[in-house]
Amino acid sequence: MSNIIEVKNVSFGYVSQSRILQDVSFDVIAGTFLSIAGPNGAGKTTLLNLLCGLLRPQAGSIMIDAAGIESYSVRRLAQKIAVVRQEFVPVFDFTVAEVVSMARTPYLGTFGFDGKIDKDAVNQALEATDTTQFAMRPMKNLSGGERQRVFIARALAQNTAVMLLDEPTSFLDLKHQVYIYDLLKAAQLEKGKTIVAITHDINLAAQYCDEVLLLTGRKPAMQDIENRSQTPPSYLIGKAKDIFSPTKIEDVFGVRVFTGKVGKENFFIPLGRFAKDSVQASIL
Amino acid sequence: MTQVLTAKSLGIRITLCLAALIVVMGLCTLVGSQKVSLEKVFAGPGRSPGENIDYEILVGIRLPRVVLAALIGAALASAGVVLQAILRNPLADPYILGISSGAGLGVIVAIISGITWNFCGGSPLSVFAFAGAIATVWLVWLIGHVTGKSQVTSLLLAGVVINAFFSAVIMFLTSITKSNQLLSTILWLMGSIRQQDALVLRISAASILAGIIALFIISHRLNILSLGEYEAKALGVDPAKTRLLAFSFSAFITAIAVSLSGLIGFVGLIIPHSVRLICGPDHRQLLPISAIIGGAFLVVADTLARTMFGQEQWPVGVITAIAGGPFFLVLLARYSRKVSRLK
Repeated sequence: MSNIIEVKNVSFGYVSQSRILQDVSFDVIAGTFLSIAGPNGAGKTTLLNLLCGLLRPQAGSIMIDAAGIESYSVRRLAQKIAVVRQEFVPVFDFTVAEVVSMARTPYLGTFGFDGKIDKDAVNQALEATDTTQFAMRPMKNLSGGERQRVFIARALAQNTAVMLLDEPTSFLDLKHQVYIYDLLKAAQLEKGKTIVAITHDINLAAQYCDEVLLLTGRKPAMQDIENRSQTPPSYLIGKAKDIFSPTKIEDVFGVRVFTGKVGKENFFIPLGRFAKDSVQASIL
Repeated sequence: MTQVLTAKSLGIRITLCLAALIVVMGLCTLVGSQKVSLEKVFAGPGRSPGENIDYEILVGIRLPRVVLAALIGAALASAGVVLQAILRNPLADPYILGISSGAGLGVIVAIISGITWNFCGGSPLSVFAFAGAIATVWLVWLIGHVTGKSQVTSLLLAGVVINAFFSAVIMFLTSITKSNQLLSTILWLMGSIRQQDALVLRISAASILAGIIALFIISHRLNILSLGEYEAKALGVDPAKTRLLAFSFSAFITAIAVSLSGLIGFVGLIIPHSVRLICGPDHRQLLPISAIIGGAFLVVADTLARTMFGQEQWPVGVITAIAGGPFFLVLLARYSRKVSRLK
């Protein structure tokens, strides 16, 4: 079991006064499913952008498949890592098949026409995501859930070792949320892909992922960094059942939760001040 | 099973369109205010100049003009395709990034300063227009580059602002020039296909064709770039490099087109849209087909411009706008891709 991603002491901030990520280190073993969770503004998307090479860390290093990420060309990195962002509609009216076949770009020759291998990869990806039946439809005419399946098909057709996803289920209904996670899990188990997904849905994450990286959003002040004083951790990593504990969730997200169990995994229902069950609890 | 563009089907379509273009060009060469007998034309040029007038009209005057119109139409249409892709904005046309005002400023400077020297038998206006266009585009690119984290928006803004600023300078300069100079500036700005020296024609033809081929080579990357910068990187396309290449080549061919013919509007906007409505947005197909259709469109428009009103010649820019506008609206109403899929 080798590490496909190694993040060592990575720090990043958009302005010099404050760091979004401070001294983050973790490894992702090839073929595992990592969820990145945490409150808004904790740096989840920033971390994802660092992992796909859009941003460069200001300190520390990121290794992809045993080579520094900065040593990859854009093209070669796209052969290692596929990225799925929150679903969007392309400006021009591309069909589903056209969008999925764009995944083959990092493998194409000068004039950009796909060969047999490329076509097979696209067809397989369409089948795996059950999108073949609307392959010829324009992206505009799809529902949000269908569109997200197309982007996952594209990531599969890109035939990379790693798939990075930024909140792949954020606008989807329950059925499609589960469907997308099933697709990802299938890609992991059947094709040995490494999945790294940002999610707000800690209950789904707990059900599907092997490990969790919880960014706490606690950013140490600059003087604390300079003085090397003890500060609360800016991230936690481990098995879902250890990281997603009621105390940690309440602490990191700053919200009261009801905690239950499905099988071995915890699930959480946040309780706001006026939530029915909160009101009852305070009366009792 | 899935129908994505293949090199073979693209090759067939390009060949068919090229054949259509050649037919259109041939027919348009035959049309003109002077009747020409083909029989006499095929007899050859004759020994002394003036011996075979029919040959000279057709081969010496009409054919170069038709070829020039096709080249300019192709250049403007392909530049329109490319700028719409890199700016991710369907309203973009080849002039959006300051080319028009830059060229106009170059011309008015030439007219005001009274420069009369000849360049390869052509008017110095073309040289000044080209220099003005290239300098302005470079300025827009520089401003966009320096100011922009999100390059596309700042490029567009820089282009719009420079265009407005230079237009104001042009208006100021025209307001202080004498009236006969004014007319030549306005005529130039309206855009018309003029006779060009054979050498100028050859150099421009080679440059425009080379530019279009270069754009065709990066056209599959334009598909990816039209999804946005992040998506492009994730799919292995370097957005900055591709944008710079696409921008330079399209600015170059537009500047050549503008310096040859002034500002011919509408071709760079409606041809890419029309072709996209019918053939879809895949740039590997959109670019070459738009170039060919754009060429044919301008050949027809220019033929109308030189024949519709007897001896009087209209500026072709007026024809493209008057004919192109309604034509495009009909197309827009009839074919949207969505409608055609519903069956």
